Amino acid sequence: MMGNGRPAQARREGTFEREPARRVFAGELRESRVHFKEGQDEKSPTYILLPTGERCNRIFLVGTLTEKRKQGEQNLFYRARVVDPTGTFFVMAGSYQPEAMQQMARLEPPAFVSVVGKPSVYEPPDGAPLISVRCESITLSDKDVRDHWVLDTARATLDRIDHSPGTPDGERARKEYAGEPAMFRRMVFDALAQLKI
Amino acid sequence: MDFSETAERISQKITSQGHPVEKAGIEVKLKRLVEEFGVPPAEAERTVMNEFAREFSLSGLRSSGPGEQKSLNQVISGEWVTVEGKVVALTASPSPAIAQTGILADESGGMRFVVWAKANAATLQIGRWYRLDSAVVDQFKGVLNLKIHSGTKVTEITRESALAPEVTPIDKLSPGVGSVRAKVVQEWESTHDRILQSGMLADETGSVRFVLWKEEGKERLNPSGLYSIYYAQVDDYNGRLSLNLNTATLLPEEGDIQVRTGDASFSGAFVHLSPGSGLVKRCPVEGCNRVLSRQNYCPVHEIQPGFQYDLRIKGWLDNGDETREVLMQRKETEEITGMTLEAAREMAENNPLGMDEVFLSVREKLLGRYLSCTGREIERRLLVSCCEFLHYQPDELAGLLNRSGGAL
Repeated sequence: MMGNGRPAQARREGTFEREPARRVFAGELRESRVHFKEGQDEKSPTYILLPTGERCNRIFLVGTLTEKRKQGEQNLFYRARVVDPTGTFFVMAGSYQPEAMQQMARLEPPAFVSVVGKPSVYEPPDGAPLISVRCESITLSDKDVRDHWVLDTARATLDRIDHSPGTPDGERARKEYAGEPAMFRRMVFDALAQLKI
Repeated sequence: MDFSETAERISQKITSQGHPVEKAGIEVKLKRLVEEFGVPPAEAERTVMNEFAREFSLSGLRSSGPGEQKSLNQVISGEWVTVEGKVVALTASPSPAIAQTGILADESGGMRFVVWAKANAATLQIGRWYRLDSAVVDQFKGVLNLKIHSGTKVTEITRESALAPEVTPIDKLSPGVGSVRAKVVQEWESTHDRILQSGMLADETGSVRFVLWKEEGKERLNPSGLYSIYYAQVDDYNGRLSLNLNTATLLPEEGDIQVRTGDASFSGAFVHLSPGSGLVKRCPVEGCNRVLSRQNYCPVHEIQPGFQYDLRIKGWLDNGDETREVLMQRKETEEITGMTLEAAREMAENNPLGMDEVFLSVREKLLGRYLSCTGREIERRLLVSCCEFLHYQPDELAGLLNRSGGAL
């Protein structure tokens, strides 16, 4: 089922609904620009709008950790690159995510990793916006899980392309982004083509 | 509202006494009483009946005042009835205004009864048959019951035939009194000091929760035992049925049945392991079982150095569109992590990080992996009874390749 069917209004009064972790390829996440906040509260969730037409507060990804750098003196944080068949995720873990920092400390590239995190858009004064993923957890994974994730993400991406037209998020994406969501079909095909049958 | 059926019934009764009456005229009378004067339909029927009875001096029919004799499955709320039944259960009286409560049964079913203290009725004995003239059928929390008041005549009667309760399939149960033949499929941690046992019963058609309150002479059911359960109270808690077994006769049975537990399944990535997962210490006080803090402190029973270890998992599964909180007890935790309680305990005792080491080890095994879980679901929370890792399925690839290549 598409998440578009039940956007943020699904948060009923007084009940907690965990934001689902969307499955999105690096190649699509990289193209995201639009980010917004639902509601006025300081704690209201923030979303980025995926070009295939769905809001996204959290993502789950499995890929190859290729690089890890420790940065900062007082405020130590890790910057890592995680690669999937379509591109690179920029993953960060700072002192606000102590658990994730400790997990990151134990990992040595190259390795398959599973990441749960929140995407955010960083717009530098000059140059292209950068999407980074603030890491909630990062754990050692394996090829079996990675391949499963590629299938899962391919299916989710195709579902968004097929079902988002007509939904509020789908229409908004068509207005905000130049390219048609259909162009991501090609990306999905290329990702799948790298798996062995 | 349609009165033709009621009118037909009255017409037949009067006609059978040798006084032919027109059905159409009866219908008009009923309609007038109900629609113009707001008389409840049952009362209207009685009024019209009595009118004819007076008119034709039919004494037999006037007895519909104290209530017709009916079987227990025929009575409706608000009616005065005469019933014959066997007292199959007596329960503790909840209030001084009530002399006795229990369950009365006949061949058609069972029903709760209440004897008011003011009724001054003879004390009912369990296992005996009684005739109740002019009892009132009432509704309490959506469940029918019989009220025995000062106007009710209670007579003990003798019946030779044994009463065989009719067993209801679980998916056909409704609030009131019911008998089932079912298997104990789950036993839950006790949530209340007064609960002796609670869990889940299932038969071929579905499952229902049960509770057995502490009471003298009550014993726990055997996990996975098959039982015939006669005259349990069927309660409705927020739209969910629950069997109160304290009134019931419980007969262990031989053999086994194929149960349908109505379980839900959910597959997705395990995205979060919640604190309090892994090895936990539980309060050893009978019926408490709460998880203790690091300092062995139970919120109710204070410091409990004689704690018991347990293994459990609390976390979140996520399929990209929806999430479920999953809860796994010791057995499921041992199966999915491959770590026994004994091994976890050793790990905790021989490691400087103690119980944290077990938490980290569980996290290492589950987090970021795909799982499929089956179990009972309550408001997006899955009490897992069966769980497995999901693996890459190459046969799905072709279909997805086709879908993605469709626009090329």
